[in-house]
Amino acid sequence: MSSIKAGSISKGMYLLFRNEPWQVTRSDFFHPGKGSAVQRVKMKNVKTGNTQDITYKTSESVEMIEVNSSEMQFLYNDGSEVVFMDPRSYDQVAVPLSLIEDKVGFLTPEVSCYVITYEDEVLGVSLPAKVKLKVEYAEDAVAGNRVNAPKKPVKMETGIEVMAPLFVKTGDVLIIDTDNGQYVSRG
Amino acid sequence: MKTWQKIQHHQSLIDRYLVRERVIDDIRAFFKQQDFHEVETPLLVEHPGTEPYLEVFETQLQLADGRSKKGFLTTSPEYSMKKLLVAGLPKIFQICKSFRNNEGLGGMHNHEFTILEWYRTEADYQEVMKDCEQLLIHLVGGSTLTYQDREYDLTIPWPRISVAEAFERWCGLSTDEFLEVKNLKHKAEELGLSVSAEDTWDNLYSLLMVHVIEPELAKFNQPIFLYDYPLSQAALSKRKVDDPRFAERFEWYVGGIELGNAFSELTDAQEQKQRLVEELQLRKELGKKEYTLDEDFITALETGMPEAGGIAVGVDRLIMLLADVPSVKETLLFPTEDVFEV
Repeated sequence: MSSIKAGSISKGMYLLFRNEPWQVTRSDFFHPGKGSAVQRVKMKNVKTGNTQDITYKTSESVEMIEVNSSEMQFLYNDGSEVVFMDPRSYDQVAVPLSLIEDKVGFLTPEVSCYVITYEDEVLGVSLPAKVKLKVEYAEDAVAGNRVNAPKKPVKMETGIEVMAPLFVKTGDVLIIDTDNGQYVSRG
Repeated sequence: MKTWQKIQHHQSLIDRYLVRERVIDDIRAFFKQQDFHEVETPLLVEHPGTEPYLEVFETQLQLADGRSKKGFLTTSPEYSMKKLLVAGLPKIFQICKSFRNNEGLGGMHNHEFTILEWYRTEADYQEVMKDCEQLLIHLVGGSTLTYQDREYDLTIPWPRISVAEAFERWCGLSTDEFLEVKNLKHKAEELGLSVSAEDTWDNLYSLLMVHVIEPELAKFNQPIFLYDYPLSQAALSKRKVDDPRFAERFEWYVGGIELGNAFSELTDAQEQKQRLVEELQLRKELGKKEYTLDEDFITALETGMPEAGGIAVGVDRLIMLLADVPSVKETLLFPTEDVFEV
């Protein structure tokens, strides 16, 4: 565990708060100008899923959790748990779906994932900033107003829908931003 | 990727950035129609504002003969503009850059930012509230602002809530309770915020303002004026006649975002000097950069400053609303992150 200044809290970090691990989902700096600067933080309890808003003075110290992260391969999602495997030891780890619900749409066996643990408990899974996914189905480009609506929904191999440019076809490989699920480019 | 590169790749992005040009043109037109004069005042000064919690950028003014003076970039052009009121200009505005150091890289701040200030004599903060109402309606070009999928009704008058009312309504503290540090401390602890023995009233006030009050203001579907601030939060504004613990200052919010900060300007030279000296002392205690009082500003007030109302508005935030983007960074062609490798 190590102390950091609240002013440097950023999204994705794990903090120890009331003796429990929390992941930061949003962190904003505010300076009302006539008082000390503050950091408004939204975080999610990794065990219970509860969310909490907290405001810190930027100079305050907070406890950051030093987590272990090990590279693992995605095996399957059984609807309540997502199973990963350590490619060296073949050990398997089951991660509750609730911890990574927003990420399952980016998981394929080709994506290199890091399973994050703290004191032998799984906290979550970290993905690369961008992943390559194959288009399972894209409707043919329809003629229309290309200036104002240059995108169409396409279905990816993992089941998620992404807004992609009109030229994208079934079978294309696209690069997707895992932070917001948006199309970046063709892979 | 730098912003200029993003625009090169996605030409449609340019429209969002050009909103700035239109907003600045429209602000100018709005004030010129009402016979305001546009002025230019220095950004590089020897005596910047004394706000204890703002940090300034420091540089040096050097003369050819080898002499030199410490110089600072202004956090606001306020002192110079008030000197011009004393000089005899009754209605003035300015759109200029201002600089605040030690800020975070969040979506609501940029170290170098654009500020709009306007001042009118024979007026107080009430008139400035009306200016804000008319200005936003002028910029939007109608009575509804759509921002991030929410509609804001701009029909005037906008709600006006005093700071004391806000703390009573959302923190359950009466005016007398709110002004005592122990009650703010208790409230902050109750909300799970960490509080230390050194926390001053002003620190706890900021913490509760950002944690409780601003999120409540964000729920309104109209712009809001939060007015009448405790005296320690309003160094350049006139005291309230009926309750001198408060001063005639207001802040202008849309969707919980602070857009501007206004005062009925303090015209009493002695009181102003005393408050600025106290602020400079607090700067020293807080370990902020030290400089001396702008005596020329005090001289101006002694000469006779007319009654006036004035305001500073964050132009980048205004553009953010009108361009319908979530962060001021998305209105800037060169945000700090593009200019410095941070």
